[in-house]
Amino acid sequence: MTLLSRFRSWLRALVRRSRMESEMDTELRFHIEAFAEDLVRSGVPRQEALRRARIEFGGIERAKEECREARGVRLFETVWQDTKYGLRMLRKSPGFTATAILTLSLGIGANTAIFSVVNAVLLQPLSYPQPDRLVALMRSSPAGNQWAISVPKLIVYREQTKVFESIAAYDSAGPGINLTGGDRPEQVKGIHASAGYFEVFGAPIALGRVYTAEEDRPGGPHVAVISDGLWRRRFGADPTLVGRTVELSGDPYQIIGVLGPGFKSDPPADIWLPLQADPNSTNQGHYLRAAARMRPEVTLGQAQAAMKLAVEELRRKFPNWVGPRESATAVPLRDTVVSGVRSALLILIGAVGFVLLIACANVANLLLARATLRKRELAIRASMGAGRWRIVSQLLTESLLLSLVGGALGLVIGFFGLRALLAINPVNLPRIGEHGAEITLDSRVLLYTLLVSLFTAILFGLVPAISPTREDLNATLRDSGARSGGGFRQNKTRSILVVTEMAMALILLVGAALMIRTFEALRSVRPGFDGHNVLTMQMALSGSRFKKTAGAAQMVREVEQRVRAMPGVEAVAGACCLPLTGGPDFPFAIVGRAPVSGSYSGDVQWRNVSPQYFEVFRIPALRGRVFTARDDAGSTPVALINEAMAKQFWQNENPIGAQLLIGHGIAPEFEDAPRQIVGVVGDIRDYGLNNEPAPIMYVPEAQVPDGISALENRLMPFLWAVRTKVAPFSLDTEIQQEVRATSGGLAVAHVRSMEQVVGESTARGDFDTMLLSIFAGVALLLAAIGVYGLMAYAVQQRTQEIGIRMALGASPEKVRKMVVWQGMRLAVIGVVIGVVAALELTRFMAGLIYRVKTWDPTVFAVVAVLLSAAAWLAVYVPARRASRVDPIVSLRYE
Amino acid sequence: MDKQLDVLQGTLDMLILKAVSLGPLHGYGILFRIQQISRDRLEIQQGSLYPALYRLEHQGWIASEWGESENNRKAKYYRLAAAGKRRLQSETEKWNRMAEVIAGILHTTPEEV
Repeated sequence: MTLLSRFRSWLRALVRRSRMESEMDTELRFHIEAFAEDLVRSGVPRQEALRRARIEFGGIERAKEECREARGVRLFETVWQDTKYGLRMLRKSPGFTATAILTLSLGIGANTAIFSVVNAVLLQPLSYPQPDRLVALMRSSPAGNQWAISVPKLIVYREQTKVFESIAAYDSAGPGINLTGGDRPEQVKGIHASAGYFEVFGAPIALGRVYTAEEDRPGGPHVAVISDGLWRRRFGADPTLVGRTVELSGDPYQIIGVLGPGFKSDPPADIWLPLQADPNSTNQGHYLRAAARMRPEVTLGQAQAAMKLAVEELRRKFPNWVGPRESATAVPLRDTVVSGVRSALLILIGAVGFVLLIACANVANLLLARATLRKRELAIRASMGAGRWRIVSQLLTESLLLSLVGGALGLVIGFFGLRALLAINPVNLPRIGEHGAEITLDSRVLLYTLLVSLFTAILFGLVPAISPTREDLNATLRDSGARSGGGFRQNKTRSILVVTEMAMALILLVGAALMIRTFEALRSVRPGFDGHNVLTMQMALSGSRFKKTAGAAQMVREVEQRVRAMPGVEAVAGACCLPLTGGPDFPFAIVGRAPVSGSYSGDVQWRNVSPQYFEVFRIPALRGRVFTARDDAGSTPVALINEAMAKQFWQNENPIGAQLLIGHGIAPEFEDAPRQIVGVVGDIRDYGLNNEPAPIMYVPEAQVPDGISALENRLMPFLWAVRTKVAPFSLDTEIQQEVRATSGGLAVAHVRSMEQVVGESTARGDFDTMLLSIFAGVALLLAAIGVYGLMAYAVQQRTQEIGIRMALGASPEKVRKMVVWQGMRLAVIGVVIGVVAALELTRFMAGLIYRVKTWDPTVFAVVAVLLSAAAWLAVYVPARRASRVDPIVSLRYE
Repeated sequence: MDKQLDVLQGTLDMLILKAVSLGPLHGYGILFRIQQISRDRLEIQQGSLYPALYRLEHQGWIASEWGESENNRKAKYYRLAAAGKRRLQSETEKWNRMAEVIAGILHTTPEEV
């Protein structure tokens, strides 16, 4: 009943607002007239009676306001009125409005941009059904987790059916699969996956079926499942494709199924072939990944415990199969996708947070200056009966309007700015798709931007909104001009804001400067190889011809001869790997030396290369010789080592003549004869320019054990590198043709210059550097504007005082110095605070920077000087204006 | 007792309910009646009367309708609603209890403690 009537009253008030207004008017007028009539009756003249009645009644407007409030429509009405009024006020001062909106849109835009990346990379769930049930099965050691599994371990883990619904092992789509036959050979990405794969990832099946566990056995049928994309692109979406046989790398495969269009695998692939792993395998190579789907009621902790138990059981049965400190665990699959980028993204989030705070401080300063000018207006409103909260809400509404418009603009700037940056500088971030296509404006990004805008409005709007309402009404009204002074407290607030801005800008600039120093350091690093004028390309060595080393070695020799004969070509090499792209590692023993751990002396990088590899990359022989064409299958097994390996394992002794036994005991098919070291070559930086050279052993292409060749051909692409005398891409087509023809029609893929390979290796860091520099630049600009705004305002406010000083004999010089000093004092305080804070905060950047200390004195000094210079410039302009004040004019100034 | 007393915070609502319980009244009439009953010993801020009326109406304790005043002018009349009647009753009881307790306290002599 009460509730109903309350609602009715509210509704009525809402709908018939104007009628209620006029009724209220009538009612109050009646009251005053009735009162006056009583007074007249007691002998007071009519005019006087009305006057007395009004005075006795008190503030009519205030009473009305309280009535409206009592009626419960205040909120709606207030918002409506405030919005209308706010828009009018903002339109009236376009300069202020434009500055504030632009500043806010920069701050909010930067946040939207970074958040949309964070959203795509870190927050979006994986695109599989019930993604939180998916875990990656990891090999763990005190040094960290490694997402790798061997076939024997897969067989054991597959029995963990209590915790896992299904387990899949798969390779990383390394070499690509040659889709031959037909008129155009094509290289597509293919994954060898165990039968559980489709169940684990919940792959939708559009046509046909996927392979069964029966088919996923050694000697099982040649069957293939293809992606929707390949089905449409290559087979014209033929509905009768299932059952047809295609030629994959020269072997016939029957296509048994097509997956649905939404399925995105990681790594991306278009073909899935059964892994057909041997359950009796003893192969200790960890070259597969494993993922599992947990049962619905199983927790991550239980899955981890089960993995630990399983690996201990394996250790009991086969002590040699599990390393002394090795264990196993399960981690959420999503963590494996984003592990490398999280810290950089969090730092960027922090950076844009600072940009936003600086923007807020700037707009708060603008609003404070404006609030001073609007003091009279607000005082009049207060005297007309507007309560304190009414005025605060009015001012907050204006802030909100600014931040919402700024937010909308920021959304556009941030989102499309980021897209543009990604288009110019494609960066290899996981999960963002081609040129950031997967970074979308979904509801989460929109909501985030809205929340940031609201938060911003409160942040920059609240301080100025509260401070003027504290002022004494009468004092303000008595003051004649709109230019009444800002008062000590307000200038103090504004000074604090400016100091904060300077400090935050300094932190950002230090961060950006550290990244730039890193960028330079990486550019000046000597990688140990010469990538200039080198063309590289990939090929998948699949098919029966390359099952054994001899076939591949034969082809490499032919390609070397034929391409080298081409005009403009200096040297040609085929290899497992390019510098900077990593490769496999193997344990080895030095013959005649006591092993260090287990039966090995150590575990280092393995590279099988053809003889001219060192000529192509200009890697010098420091001792002994490099490989020649005579180091073939029939000659003595030889190896080269790099300087790092020589230093680590031979110190001051001569390694030449020593013998290496590589990979002994891993698996029978990898068994290698002892190799004689014939030379020591220069170091190269193989795992990124920012990593010290690792020990490497090189083995001639023609002498690789068959088992290792087969494994490499299955897991990794084969690489060609050609040193040219001319611009490498000018020979691109001819070289490709020659290589393709010699290899018997295999597709050539991923043609890049070595300089591009180097560029890609630093692309992500460069992208972070670019973003951080942009943000620091924006921060610098905003901070300078902030200082300028404060000083310009102070000078304007104090024109009269300055005029008096000058009339009393102060020179323009002195006035200028005074203003500069006052501004610079704030700037310097900000810089000092910023330096202290930056010393603390840059610690978080330790993982992103290279060859520069987080407290690099040069960086701090340069940044402090740069920021101070910007502040000085921002202060100098108003200071000069102050020094030109004409005492006569200023004293009349009103 | 010449001096007028300000109406205690919160008691204005009770006085209004009492005033309209004696028959429908317009705003000025309510003011007049309260002063009349109290024999001019209570001072009510005229400005605060109307917000109180609007609040009481919004809460459903009084109802209003437009009518003619004594001198044939349009005026808004308030009357007690059913919920208001219950409210007035409970408020009166509460007030009496309170007055009793406070009077008791104020009359306490040192010997009684």
